[in-house]
Amino acid sequence: MTPEEEAFLAKKKEKQAARRGKPEEKAVLTMTSLMDIISIIVVYLLKTYGSDPVVITPTAGQKIPMSKADSPIQEGVPIYVSQRDITFESKKIVQLDEQGEVDAAAVQNHLIGPLFDALAEEADKSKQMAESRGTEWPGRVIVVGDQGLKFKTLVDVLYTAGRAEFHEYLFCVIQNS
Amino acid sequence: MAKRKKFEEEEIEANLLPVMNIMLLLIPALLLAMEVAQMAAISVSPPKYAAQADQKEEKKQEEPLNLKVFIMEEGYRVSASGQQQGAEAGKSADSSAPTIPLKTPGAPLDDYNRYDYDALEATAKKYKGLFSHETVVTVGAENNIPMQVLVGTMDALRGRDCRLLKAMQGEEVPPECLFWQPIVDAGAG
Repeated sequence: MTPEEEAFLAKKKEKQAARRGKPEEKAVLTMTSLMDIISIIVVYLLKTYGSDPVVITPTAGQKIPMSKADSPIQEGVPIYVSQRDITFESKKIVQLDEQGEVDAAAVQNHLIGPLFDALAEEADKSKQMAESRGTEWPGRVIVVGDQGLKFKTLVDVLYTAGRAEFHEYLFCVIQNS
Repeated sequence: MAKRKKFEEEEIEANLLPVMNIMLLLIPALLLAMEVAQMAAISVSPPKYAAQADQKEEKKQEEPLNLKVFIMEEGYRVSASGQQQGAEAGKSADSSAPTIPLKTPGAPLDDYNRYDYDALEATAKKYKGLFSHETVVTVGAENNIPMQVLVGTMDALRGRDCRLLKAMQGEEVPPECLFWQPIVDAGAG
């Protein structure tokens, strides 16, 4: 709409209002309520995402163990281990069999080959980043396991992470207060 | 002929203020009602044989406890200082029977409450009373043991009233905390 057309319409409305004997009403946008809502949402989102250095998003069907532990999750590399597969950086690395164990072809002496490759690459990257920032590499891995995850599979994952030079392990749990 | 009434269309402006007020109340109410899973972490360590040797040199005066808990399908096997708790006289270990049997024998493996966590916590308290300086426990399990049982076992060994949040911020570890530094060892049994 051109400025001329807009001016014409405004004039027309003014005339219509004058005919009806009403004073011209100017619409005033009250932003207060909207601002209140937005403020609440912003505070909520900041509180939800700002406090956690790592955002844990469990894979479909995964049930994270419940615990009384209250220590916060520290910065680290999350590995998602469900009863069906091992996921790292949103990629399915290894498929688990019906018994919840790593396929025999993918594991040798507790070392899960594809997971080791992915973790070693990540370790190299994060070491370089830490070096460029002048900080110490934490070498921390967060195991986001399933409630029913077998100890054998868990040990394989921990051993593989250790071989990829990660030396601190955290089990991600849901706080059960 | 009836004269048709001239219908004059009136513009009615919707008063949005009450709607906005309700919205304003609804948003915090829904946010509060929403269940948010609070995530936490349990720090575990792999076995460090070299570090243990160093510790021995540092703590020559203090006798090491070497508390080990092995989770079996039939219950817990607890051993300390190389001696299994409840083993037959003259034997260091009696692998045929668990030290702490199941709370609900015959329950399936996916029943995570089949283990006697209370009895394990009581045992941990007993050892903590004898070795107050010890904080480390080695936990192992049979291959089929689910992760939830491992986590529950670590909770019991740490003490279920133990809160480590403040300790992580620099304060002292509270006395309710028993063995809060678990080492996960595949061969702990």
